[in-house]
Amino acid sequence: MIKYERDNIDTDVIIPGQYLKIHDYNELASHAMEGLDPNFHTKVKEGDFILSGKNFGCGSSREHAPIALSHSGIKAVLALSFARIFYRNAVDGAFLLPIEIDENTYQRISEGDEINIDISSNEIKNITKNQTYPMKPFSEIIGKIIEAGGLFKYKPD
Amino acid sequence: MGKTLFEKIWDAHVVVEKESSPSLIYVDRHLVHEVTSPQAFDGLRMNNRIVRRPDLTIATMDHNVPTNDRSLPILDQTSAIQIKTLEKNCKDFGIKLFDINSPNQGIVHVIGPQLGITLPGSTIVCGDSHTSTHGAFGALAFGIGTSDVEHVLASQTIWLEKPEPFEIRVEGKRKKPHAVTAKDIILSIIKNIGTAGGTGTVIEYSGEGIADLSMEQRMTICNMSIEGGARAGLVAPDEKTFDYLRNRQYTPKNYESLVEYWREHLTTDKDAKFRKTFTLHIDNISPQVSWGTNPGMTCDVTDSVPSSEDYSNGDENQKKAADKALEYMNLKSGTPITEIKIDRVFIGSCTNARLEDLIEASRVIKGQKVSENVRAMVVPGSQMVKKQAEEMGIDKIFTKANFEWREAGCSMCLGMNPDILSPGERCASTSNRNFEGRQGTGGLTHLVSPVMAAAAALEGHFVDVRNLDLN
Repeated sequence: MIKYERDNIDTDVIIPGQYLKIHDYNELASHAMEGLDPNFHTKVKEGDFILSGKNFGCGSSREHAPIALSHSGIKAVLALSFARIFYRNAVDGAFLLPIEIDENTYQRISEGDEINIDISSNEIKNITKNQTYPMKPFSEIIGKIIEAGGLFKYKPD
Repeated sequence: MGKTLFEKIWDAHVVVEKESSPSLIYVDRHLVHEVTSPQAFDGLRMNNRIVRRPDLTIATMDHNVPTNDRSLPILDQTSAIQIKTLEKNCKDFGIKLFDINSPNQGIVHVIGPQLGITLPGSTIVCGDSHTSTHGAFGALAFGIGTSDVEHVLASQTIWLEKPEPFEIRVEGKRKKPHAVTAKDIILSIIKNIGTAGGTGTVIEYSGEGIADLSMEQRMTICNMSIEGGARAGLVAPDEKTFDYLRNRQYTPKNYESLVEYWREHLTTDKDAKFRKTFTLHIDNISPQVSWGTNPGMTCDVTDSVPSSEDYSNGDENQKKAADKALEYMNLKSGTPITEIKIDRVFIGSCTNARLEDLIEASRVIKGQKVSENVRAMVVPGSQMVKKQAEEMGIDKIFTKANFEWREAGCSMCLGMNPDILSPGERCASTSNRNFEGRQGTGGLTHLVSPVMAAAAALEGHFVDVRNLDLN
């Protein structure tokens, strides 16, 4: 778990504007979070999660933001709330899971904690601290798009 | 129960609607630019899909383009490739493109209204969050990501959960309207509702303070709806709206009959319900200057930089955010805003690069010179704005004052073309975002109106433009 204790982490710090020209997703990923945490790429591991405050992903509609995080290895972002376009991009492209959590969960998870997320039971398990927290369930349709692997693989009933 | 304007536009565009599920919404206009579209076109090719309605899809290049001499080659190879890729994609899929040499080229949100492509009551999407700008015409307009761009290209529709209507009333009259502008109104709104205050809503701006504004000023307001968390913001169309769009290059031939329909239908019913309402009284508002690293961190020009305690009102997260913002911005709390010295001035962007913005700024600088410690530039929002301004002699006012007068594009709003701040440079900017590094790594952005930016360029620090004789 990589924790950023702040609100309003915007898409310009997730992937600064000068990198939006890059088409190679792995190269894009090498600049993820550069605007906020230049060491991000050295500490992130495949399967990692990010934990953050309110309004994560505010600002630009650049899909490069969830793509850069996803190709860095980030599987989910846990936040108190999300900006809508970021949330939508993350789900539509099946880049990562945007998971809404409550204040209590936000406080109890620490940097470095080992976390398991079970979206079928809407539970977040903290292996390090042996605790379990709730996550806000995905709406039915979001759940189906996630299950299908993105907007283009989802077939409406 | 009556309906809001947003709900009427929504209902008129629903293709498929099911309970507790997103609706499929028809898209009337799809605007495309070079940065968020390449992967979408690649996706179409991979799946052997065509563009469903190329006639409703319009492209231009704005984010990447250099704003210097257009006869020079583009030195940045990745930008050159993205621009060439858009040319190829538009050619392959039969989409109208206003390319870098077109007299209609410009920032996508400036050219849409100027060309009469933006129409009241329509739905407009674009792979850019400031698509909310077009809401000034009573359109439902919002930004989308690249996956959705591909979906719209392929189907001319988009899945959307219905947002809730949020009423923002702007009441009263501005004192000194040349000094207290639409930018100051929208910054005041965001300062009050916060950067997530509009999440999940479509804002409808109304009241005397909005009715009094010109169309270009209303665009400034709607443009920054996204900075308050709302994906869209709109204003009910009135005679100013209809007059603005009459006789534009792409204004529909049956325009007058459309106007009749719009007059009758594009209003919010008196008994319509909003999820929430916020009212801003503008009789006594001041010119605004952002001091922090999001557009909500804004204060009056007569204030001092706040302390994190004052800003946060007891909220620990807010206090931390303010401490980080002050550290990044290299500002000490208690410093009067008018004592903050600046290095650069940028008048441009989809928020404030229209003809009226340039006229208002030029009134401030006429006959004067930019401070010798400041580098100042004006980047018209479109080639058409540039041409109109040059016909009025406004370019000369700027160049005589030592402003750079450049070609149209997004320029220094977003640090992805050659116009960027160097680390530590402090800029008075008429753009929309003061995020860390937004205008270049380590750059320090203060959001202001065009008149505030122009006055700061002359003095080398912020000044209260209400004290200038602008008439």
